[in-house]
Amino acid sequence: MILRTPTRRITRSSAVTPSKTSPSASKPLPPPSVPCPAVEPFSSDDRDPLSLDELISLLPGRNPQIHELLRLIGPSNSPMLPALLYGGPSTGKTATVLRVFQHLRRRFVYASCRSCYCPRILFETVLDQLLCHKRCREDGYSSAKRCDKPPNFVDLLRDALIQATSAHTGAKMKSCSSGENGEMIYLIFDNVELIRSWDKGSLILQILFRIPDFLKVRNVGLIYISRALPDAYYSMVGSLEPLYIYFPDYSLDDIHNILMRNQVNPKLYSCFLSVVLKPFSRITRRIDELAIAFKPLFKKYCEALTDPRLIPDEATKRRLFDYLQPHLTVSMNEIFNVPSWSSSEIDKERSINQRGKLRNLSGEVAFGELDIHMSLSAKYLFISAFLASRNPATLDGALFDSTGGSDNRKRKRKSLQTSIDKQDNLAAEILIKGPGTFPLERLLVIFQCITSTVEYEAEEVQLENGEPTEGSHADLMSDVLLQLSTLCNASFICKSNSCPLEGSTRYRSMIDEDMAFKVARRVNFPLSKYIYRR
Amino acid sequence: MPSSATSDPPPSPSINTAAPATGDDLQPFFVLHKALSRNPEKKVPASAKRKIDLSTSSPTSADKLAVGPNHAIYEQLRLDAFNIVWSKIDSTINEVLRQINVSVFDEVHKWVLESFSIIKSCYLTSALEIHSHYPLGNDVICKQIPTAMLLTKNAEFVDYLLTFQELRDYLKSMGFHVANLSALDFSAKYGIAGCLRSLLRQLVMMTPDVADFSVLFSWYSEPDNYDHPIIIAIDDMERCSGLVLADFIRMLSDWVSKLPVIFVMGAASSNTSRKFLPSDALQHLQPCEFTLASPFQRMNALVEAVLVKSCCGFTIGHEVAVFLRNYFLGHDATITSFIKALKLACAEHFSMETMSFLVVHMLDVNYEVSLLGKCKLLPVSVLTHAFDLPSCKREKDSESSSDALATGLSELRRLLKNWASVILCLYEVGKLKKMQLLDIFCEATDSRLSRLRSSNNKLGRVSSNSKNLIDGRLASNGHSISQLIHTVRELPVASLCKVLDLWSIHTEEMDEIHSKIQELHLMVQSTKSCTDFQEKQIDCHRMKNSSGVGKTSFSGNDKAAALLDDMVRKFLIPVESRRFHEVVCFRDVGTLRTALIGNPRREIQVNLLKSNSYIRCGCCSSSDNALSPTMHDSSVMYNLAQEYGDLINLRDWYHAFRETVLRGRNNLKCRSPVSKKARLASESEASIQARFCSAVIELQITGLLRMPSKRRPDFVQRIAFGL
Repeated sequence: MILRTPTRRITRSSAVTPSKTSPSASKPLPPPSVPCPAVEPFSSDDRDPLSLDELISLLPGRNPQIHELLRLIGPSNSPMLPALLYGGPSTGKTATVLRVFQHLRRRFVYASCRSCYCPRILFETVLDQLLCHKRCREDGYSSAKRCDKPPNFVDLLRDALIQATSAHTGAKMKSCSSGENGEMIYLIFDNVELIRSWDKGSLILQILFRIPDFLKVRNVGLIYISRALPDAYYSMVGSLEPLYIYFPDYSLDDIHNILMRNQVNPKLYSCFLSVVLKPFSRITRRIDELAIAFKPLFKKYCEALTDPRLIPDEATKRRLFDYLQPHLTVSMNEIFNVPSWSSSEIDKERSINQRGKLRNLSGEVAFGELDIHMSLSAKYLFISAFLASRNPATLDGALFDSTGGSDNRKRKRKSLQTSIDKQDNLAAEILIKGPGTFPLERLLVIFQCITSTVEYEAEEVQLENGEPTEGSHADLMSDVLLQLSTLCNASFICKSNSCPLEGSTRYRSMIDEDMAFKVARRVNFPLSKYIYRR
Repeated sequence: MPSSATSDPPPSPSINTAAPATGDDLQPFFVLHKALSRNPEKKVPASAKRKIDLSTSSPTSADKLAVGPNHAIYEQLRLDAFNIVWSKIDSTINEVLRQINVSVFDEVHKWVLESFSIIKSCYLTSALEIHSHYPLGNDVICKQIPTAMLLTKNAEFVDYLLTFQELRDYLKSMGFHVANLSALDFSAKYGIAGCLRSLLRQLVMMTPDVADFSVLFSWYSEPDNYDHPIIIAIDDMERCSGLVLADFIRMLSDWVSKLPVIFVMGAASSNTSRKFLPSDALQHLQPCEFTLASPFQRMNALVEAVLVKSCCGFTIGHEVAVFLRNYFLGHDATITSFIKALKLACAEHFSMETMSFLVVHMLDVNYEVSLLGKCKLLPVSVLTHAFDLPSCKREKDSESSSDALATGLSELRRLLKNWASVILCLYEVGKLKKMQLLDIFCEATDSRLSRLRSSNNKLGRVSSNSKNLIDGRLASNGHSISQLIHTVRELPVASLCKVLDLWSIHTEEMDEIHSKIQELHLMVQSTKSCTDFQEKQIDCHRMKNSSGVGKTSFSGNDKAAALLDDMVRKFLIPVESRRFHEVVCFRDVGTLRTALIGNPRREIQVNLLKSNSYIRCGCCSSSDNALSPTMHDSSVMYNLAQEYGDLINLRDWYHAFRETVLRGRNNLKCRSPVSKKARLASESEASIQARFCSAVIELQITGLLRMPSKRRPDFVQRIAFGL
């Protein structure tokens, strides 16, 4: 168990033989080609130590927070008050903490409440790290201690801490090489805000925030990382209020500095950033989103260059900007771009196609081909679901009359002007509310109305041709529920909760208008006639 | 012979098809459908069947066969024939479906290797660092998981279940760690624990009592597992619970530096994932698109292999083909149901068509000899039955000898082969016009069109004008074959050359045509090189004569079109107008329709209303439809309900029910003492109410009525009307 000693070195050198029985080496060892860093009892940074300057340069824009944190943590043998680090997503909270500990070279336990998604796993992860327990196949990958009750956890944690400290001090006494020089052990809990949504989350939070009270052990430091503001934990905090460190969103300059790290050709990249950063920062300032958006754009940017190591002058800058301009707006409107992977032969064709696409996008919205295959009756059901969600139910009678007539509708309009106005208001309200829900019966009625007109037309065509062939539309209505389940599975229609008054399941279509029109065009259905517009 | 085919009793509609129809809720029409009459005989193991097969061909068993064609021996023979034929078709289908995915799988494999190397270069991780309990690679701003989106472009997913299983096997054979997660693992009920548990079970091969993510690190750092990518295949992304999947993605992306995870997700279209996942989960995916073969491509390949190319001894008539096509386009655009229908048709064919056992001998390599030998052994009764087939009655001069039967059948097989070759030739042209093979197939089996073509032939000799006219009419009617012939006329030289090359492959067994095609091919090739040369010259001289060159009426095209036309007229005669086609051809579209598009609710209504015609009990007279108390409660209730409109007053209904039930009881117990009677009445009042309630619930479950709503608590609503 005691590491950083000559005995460990022996273990490491004999790593080639996998059959080891001592607890520290019972874990199967990696292939010998892999360089083995030090095996730590629990997480302490074994990467190269960082100087303070390096630390600050690695994390641009986080200078005050780093200093604050260092001040809080203090020297290695002084106890610290619990700290709560909070700030929006991707503001460098976790990175800062981990880097600071790399700089300090102290022992810490890290548990993210995202991957430890329930109390038991969270507790056991912390205990495992403290007790240097390595899971292995022989013991069925079980944890060191079974622990699923919070009170249990406190007791076990105290034992484990004492054991870890004594082991550590023992190691220090024995070994001459003193890599670490502190006795503090730090517990870092990441993504604490997720606990709130757990079963009995408030209880767990209370336990976590009051660990120092319960433990009454001096040498433990607690750091919580959260996306939520401290107010969210206000009720949880008992006696000892943690100190807060706020991580604000990055400024534009910070974002620039962060993105400039590790670039092959900094000059070129800074040119690129000067073009793209301004417009994009109006949409989002989240560094992760920006980084993802810029990656393909920069690739595009470099495409125009013959040599990516070139340092651009004014003329090239201008040329590159012109080249990038059309892609810029497209990329800003894009949420999730799925490129297709292809071998090099197809690449050329694709680039040609894309140019065509680009033109379409910059111009009007192109009515592309429908890219999903559905059976005919599924298509009609699709359309009727769209109509049912889109149109107010009161208009169904007028739209789908038994005479199918538009003249009928006209007559009604004349006679009932006031009620039409009322309906208009209702319809406007419905449009604001988004797609409406509808019961299954309404969907089926609309479906039948639509398909009956189609059948009628189809029969006419057949009569003209004088061939009474097997009608393909004749039984569109059969197993329509199967089609409905297909559409539900493909998430075109979603089942919403049952209506509290009537008790039957209601449906809602998730189809956007473009898609519905595409499908309607495919089956030659005059959808625009049936959509209610104010 | 694969065991799956042999173990099935053939004429049952609940047959397992080649593709595992695991979508439990997807094929409800088989649930309520009545089982067809099936062979009462017990199944015989495969080896035993073989023995019978052999023994029948030996002369000693000739006496046994001296019975009518409906005898049990022949039934057994037909069962064997079905097993043989279907196993052949089944293996063909499997092979085709496997083959169609190979190229996509190959691309996925390459992509996985590429993205794995990218991951490795981004986060230099050694096996020991995996044990550190905090995420590494913090310099990377946003950790992304490479994700292959396997687009099915199909709203229905059943067909792709098999594809994903194959993908898993394929990737496993490449030495990756693969876990197949399904939509069931991502249910909102079990949350993230459900998918992690399933992941651990598949990767680590064990289930710990809590699905702890850190087990994966320990497992991955083992030397056997280290340094291979972990592929997580999710077969139907859209059916997963979006929230759970998003959680899963976020969790994995935190640790992607330690566990090189790669996603393979099946999705209907690339758009849906955008709506389906929250953006902070989406940004952790580094997507890449692959497209699986479209349903039409699969269908074409399937039809080509099973119905056209293979000559398995089973084919379908025009009506059946049209029905299957319409069913595919109109209802259930899945290959799974197509295969199911095909199997059903095959089973029906062999159970109904008495002479179908002869098919086995048509499959032999030297089928002529085998057929001749077999037919000689047939008793007279069977022979006369064979010549009583409608297709033979048409030709009156036929003599009913065994030799004639044998030659007739071998002729049929030869003709089918030629017919298939011509269809393939047509399809080669059709591919250029993006035509579906099933459409061509439907047209090629249409005997009416074929007659029209032959009459057209006679006219064509009179004047080319009228021929064109008829051609035009046919084309305007959307008839694909004439369109195809027309297409050949307009093909550019290069593609014509290619098409001719393919034709010569397809027609290898038709000597006469084959030589003609090769001749033509040579000619076209020479002209092609010639025009190439010319074009070069034109380029050189920059003559603006290119329009003239493009239009040069090239005799090769006309010749090819004429040749195709000739082939169509000569060989593309539908099976149904051949002699003995009943032996191989299934034409009964009605049976297939009732089997596929059942009408379960109608069936239930009929059963309830006319129950005594099924039960045939003595107590209920079958002549009048009077209600008798001995009938089943729900049957009585439903009969009573017929008198109401769409709303049924519960009180009235109950009283009517009570009257009916008590009438019988009073008749039985009229002599019992009064005091006892009173007691009995109060007792039976409760029991009648109970029976009433349970019957109402039964009717509700069968979907015939709806329970009272809050608005009208006294009324139930009828849902089903009429038959």
